[in-house]
Amino acid sequence: MTRRFTFDGQEITCASTDVVAAALTAAGHRAFRQTDTEAKRGIFCGMGVCQDCLVTVDGQPNQRACMTPVREGMKVETQVARPPLTPPAPRSLTPKRLTPEVLVIGGGAGGLSAAIAARDAGAEVVLLDERKVPGGQYFKQSADTQKAPLDPQQSEGRELQRRAREAGVTLLSQTEVWGAFDGPEIMATSPEAVYAIAPDRLIVATGAYERPAMIPGWTLPGVMTVGAAQTLWRSYRTLPGKRVALFGNGPLVAQVAQELTAGGAEIVVLAEAAPAPATRPFAALDMARRDTGLTRKGFTMLARLRRYGVRVTHDALPHAIHAQNSALMVEYSARGRPAQVEADAVLLNYGFQPSNEILRLLGCDMTYDARFDHLRVTRSSTCETTVPGVYAVGDCCGLGGAPAAMVEGHIAGRAATGASSRPDDDSALRRHRGFQDALWRLYSARLPLPEEAAPETHICRCEEVTKAQLDAALTDDPTDIGALKRATRIGMGRCQGRYCAPAVAGIMARRQGLPLEDLSYFAPRVPIKPVDIAAITAAEALLDDPE
Amino acid sequence: MTDLLIIGGGITGQVAALVAAEAGARVTIVDAQRNAGSHANAGSLHVQMQSRFLRLNPHLADNLESSLPLYLAAVGEWEALDARLGGVELTREGGLMLAETPAQLEFLHEKAGREARKGLDVEILNRDALHALAPWLSEQIAGAELCRNEGKLNPLVANRKMRAALDALGVRHVHDRITGIEDGPHPVAHGARAYAADAILIAAAWGAGALAGRLGLNLSTPPEPLHMNITEAGEYRIHHLVQHAERPITLKQFRSGQVVIGGGWEARTATADRQAPGIRKTSLLGNVALAAQIAPGIGGLRVLRTWAGYNTPVDGKSTIGPASHGSRVFFALPGDAGYTLGPITGRTAVSLALGLTPPVDPAPYAPARWRA
Ligand SMILES: Cc1cc2nc3c(=O)[nH]c(=O)nc-3n(C[C@H](O)[C@H](O)[C@H](O)COP(=O)(O)OP(=O)(O)OC[C@H]3O[C@@H](n4cnc5c(N)ncnc54)[C@H](O)[C@@H]3O)c2cc1C
Ligand SMILES: Cc1cc2nc3c(=O)[nH]c(=O)nc-3n(C[C@H](O)[C@H](O)[C@H](O)COP(=O)(O)OP(=O)(O)OC[C@H]3O[C@@H](n4cnc5c(N)ncnc54)[C@H](O)[C@@H]3O)c2cc1C
Ligand code: FES
Repeated sequence: MTRRFTFDGQEITCASTDVVAAALTAAGHRAFRQTDTEAKRGIFCGMGVCQDCLVTVDGQPNQRACMTPVREGMKVETQVARPPLTPPAPRSLTPKRLTPEVLVIGGGAGGLSAAIAARDAGAEVVLLDERKVPGGQYFKQSADTQKAPLDPQQSEGRELQRRAREAGVTLLSQTEVWGAFDGPEIMATSPEAVYAIAPDRLIVATGAYERPAMIPGWTLPGVMTVGAAQTLWRSYRTLPGKRVALFGNGPLVAQVAQELTAGGAEIVVLAEAAPAPATRPFAALDMARRDTGLTRKGFTMLARLRRYGVRVTHDALPHAIHAQNSALMVEYSARGRPAQVEADAVLLNYGFQPSNEILRLLGCDMTYDARFDHLRVTRSSTCETTVPGVYAVGDCCGLGGAPAAMVEGHIAGRAATGASSRPDDDSALRRHRGFQDALWRLYSARLPLPEEAAPETHICRCEEVTKAQLDAALTDDPTDIGALKRATRIGMGRCQGRYCAPAVAGIMARRQGLPLEDLSYFAPRVPIKPVDIAAITAAEALLDDPE
Repeated sequence: MTDLLIIGGGITGQVAALVAAEAGARVTIVDAQRNAGSHANAGSLHVQMQSRFLRLNPHLADNLESSLPLYLAAVGEWEALDARLGGVELTREGGLMLAETPAQLEFLHEKAGREARKGLDVEILNRDALHALAPWLSEQIAGAELCRNEGKLNPLVANRKMRAALDALGVRHVHDRITGIEDGPHPVAHGARAYAADAILIAAAWGAGALAGRLGLNLSTPPEPLHMNITEAGEYRIHHLVQHAERPITLKQFRSGQVVIGGGWEARTATADRQAPGIRKTSLLGNVALAAQIAPGIGGLRVLRTWAGYNTPVDGKSTIGPASHGSRVFFALPGDAGYTLGPITGRTAVSLALGLTPPVDPAPYAPARWRA
């Protein structure tokens, strides 16, 4: 089945299950919107958090192309920086109040497992996910549910989804959470409804998003996260470009290189920040000892890449990206020597940041994990946070990987319904965490600090604040990150500080010689994602209860 | 050279510092860097009286009216500041107070009459005149009072430029929290250390009450947690500061195109001193829905952020002057609409402290009304 729509008047034909971003990419478009300084932007995160892929759809401005399914005859236009104040076409969103025993936010490895476990233990469970097809990042499903799975990873995810449905979990897809209030009470919007959900128990399983490299040119159209390219391919069978350059740290980079190669892309460079594994035999051995299966999977993947003629360049970091004619030119270094490469798409991934905004809004305690440079939510052995009745599982708690997310899901799902945990879950969790630990020892690399960025580097993508502007504000010696935000507008944009905040928090902490902590970050605020005024107007109908 | 210590580095303390430093004083600002209203406020320059408050409190009408000249002077002070700082996106295209019913419009009529007698530039607009002026308004709006003295500015820009101007003048900034003051010919403020000065100015908003007791004043300054919303940028169409005769709303658009929505919706007082106040669901939903009813064109934008901060209305009236006759400790508390009144309050109070001629007669605002 195909669909036809127009982009700035040009007709585009695509698969009926595509999102706008995939269809535009397949048709060769990179630039979707214009910023206030008339810079062009396109897909960056591919998962609805960066807000850089905005387009106008049928007159409605600021719709995320990566999350918007195509409709026959829709009129898509480049998003201007300041759209006209035209009243939107009336949209009827049904206000709904739900009070399930267990609410799970996020339908990835962790959330699906938690929902199944809670349901199996007898609870009434609602699970919501902002994507049309749940599965999350690891199981990343094809948008076309009729298509045969690409590999075991996708079929396993499909199977997990089927189990959740069969168990009787109420799955609400395309339902995005934007607010969390004490109670807890969760506010979410779908294309048809706006929800106020007050569950007895809440399980947060919102996963993680990727950490980019802040270098000049990282905002150019065609530069995106490794995961964004993976989504284009795995969910929509669209390549981010013909010639692809990957720069990053960790196993995901090579995995995606292999997936894109198999899909027909030419990998012009696969640059890994860490030194070659052969230089770290002990970590490699330790990793193999902890999970032979996963280690073998990794080596098979590298062997497959070699068969395609792709070799990993170790000790390599990108320094700048320039737009050159219709392509991108990356300056990078490999083992200290400068190099250049031309590509159609440049993919970046330097680790992950947990999507912990809901947990932080609810006041769950966090501690800073220096090794992964992110916050970890404090949890009991049953994955309960410091807010009673609020559980957290998977990568939103800090990096842990899909197998651990699944086990944590079982544990939390059972605990949330009052069932006791199973000893084999606990031992499996220990094994998975041991594997992750060894894995990241193998991949440990010194990544450049944001303070070392060149003056013209954008630190804040949304508000287009450069490193030079940040440095100027730092000469005033602001005592807290809030003062820096007000002085520079860093963190005031649509992504709500998801990319700049961790960088700036680190800079501030190092300047002041203070340990990083939860309070070093911008205070999280409702809405955690920009929310349509139409949704708010509809939600007002849910306000009859005195607070 | 006079040594002046200013407690509180919000807009009031900053303007006092600017005036004093320009007059040659040696100025130190000591600030706790906590929950300044000046860092949370929405940048509305208010002048006209609040219709609903007036209707509900007819006995306070004379009081409100007597403050109008101060508001006029305050806006003049902001214009001078805009020029001094090299532009803070200040515009004075006026403020609209909207009416939905003939009764509301009739009340505005009467209010406008009182205000005109006090020198305000006001006019009642009927439906056609209003919609020609502000075509983005909803059809349900039947008319409005236009007050041409009102306007708006961008507080982020103002605060940033103010700080740069103070730095250029050599004003010293210290991060500390004052816990007590000893009055005398050379008063001393105590925090983590002691600060002696020739004069002390208290511009500490919600923090002022705790310092007033030892000065013999029964002044209470409870913080009032208020909610704000801001949208993504849209085309710059809404030039006025917009309020409603009977409903709690202020709505305006920054030059950046972002729409700022507030109007006194309440937030939740923070449990810990370090934290900002929390957001209430009812305020977010109620405030934004009301804004979209009034200006349907903003309905296509998304709400980007909400925030909350502490306002310090005190008794609704400014408190300006020495703690007692002859005291070297001075108060500078703007009271209601404190960002509008902050500069004039700061300049008036510091003029008294330095023996300069104050820009307005401070007598009505003397701290004497707080004598225990
Ligand atoms: C981009 C990316 C790609 C990855 N690819 C791989 C890979 O190929 N192989 C591998 O081994 N590991 C991969 N990882 C790591 C792996 O995804 C995780 O370890 C695993 O998916 C964690 O599972 P989870 O359930 O915690 O989170 P996820 O699988 O990320 O699931 C989180 C779910 O929550 C939903 N969600 C988040 N916020 C909201 C909200 N506000 N409202 C509604 N729904 C929301 C998301 O749509 C998502 O479905 C990837 C991670 C990322 C970020
Ligand atoms: C959300 C919101 C929106 C607003 N919108 C508007 C508007 O649009 N227009 C308008 O006119 N007004 C508005 N106001 C009111 C206005 O912001 C304040 O009245 C005004 O900023 C007060 O300025 P200030 O300098 O007197 O005090 P503040 O800006 O509150 O500064 C007081 C400072 O004193 C410090 N301090 C307190 N105690 C001590 C101590 N013991 N030692 C050292 N330092 C101390 C504090 O840390 C703070 O930095 C708004 C207020 C809020 C909360
Ligand atoms: S690419 Fe769509 S939100 Fe980031």
